[in-house]
Amino acid sequence: MTETLIKDEVSIHELLDRPWITIVWDDPVNLMTYVTHVFIELFGFSKERAHELMMQVHNEGRAVVSTGTREEMERDVQRLHEHGLWATLQRDDKI
Amino acid sequence: MSSFERVGDGYSLDLTLDEALILINLVEQLLELLGEGDFFHHYDSSDPLAQLLTMPSEIVMPDDPVLLRLLPNAYTDPEAASDFRRYTEPQLRGSKQKNLRLVREELTILVDENHGGVIEELDSGVWLKALNDLRIALSVRLEISENSFEKFELLGEDDPQKPIYAVYFWLGWLQENLLGLLQ
Repeated sequence: MTETLIKDEVSIHELLDRPWITIVWDDPVNLMTYVTHVFIELFGFSKERAHELMMQVHNEGRAVVSTGTREEMERDVQRLHEHGLWATLQRDDKI
Repeated sequence: MSSFERVGDGYSLDLTLDEALILINLVEQLLELLGEGDFFHHYDSSDPLAQLLTMPSEIVMPDDPVLLRLLPNAYTDPEAASDFRRYTEPQLRGSKQKNLRLVREELTILVDENHGGVIEELDSGVWLKALNDLRIALSVRLEISENSFEKFELLGEDDPQKPIYAVYFWLGWLQENLLGLLQ
């Protein structure tokens, strides 16, 4: 019992600390050059970083493009949707 | 073939009348699908007053697959997605409508005068987003996948889908052309 309680406390603490992330998903429509362009415009990435993330979306099916508070990630997802990219936000599942 | 060009600090697009007609046709269909109806709203849909009569509770996930791709869920969890949609969808819809209306305005000048011509000093950001939304809309209808270009090339000349694919790839070419100038 005691052990479980301690573990619970730890996990609640970790849960509260875990940031939110914005994920961009691969789709067969958006041009690679366009996705790179949008990453640079919205997040101010260097051309190299934007290209690397775009390739990750293309090859692995998804990439985390930003991390922060829930409100910040909601704003990022909204801006990505305005540009026609397929994006979602969630709590970071890495502990 | 028509193309975008860099003129000083700005961008222009040279279109034939046929190309302008194809574009305005698609733009107006997408505006209709996004719910513009046949009148011009004088309010901004993100204005809090705009939600006086269309209560946020009425905003639900769209059934139409094109609308669902243009106005996607922000969360994989359905409840969180629906809460988020209720408060943000009017703004997202509004931003897409605004881009399409600007593009329509510029195309209208060519179409009304019944000849091709050059659209000067266009807003590259607006055109990029509008072209992208048109491609997304067509891609859902055509069920575009990674190997669609091969499929297009194998279609017979009299296949009714052939011209739709051709328009879809032309829009991609136009978008790529504009992106090339922005580099």
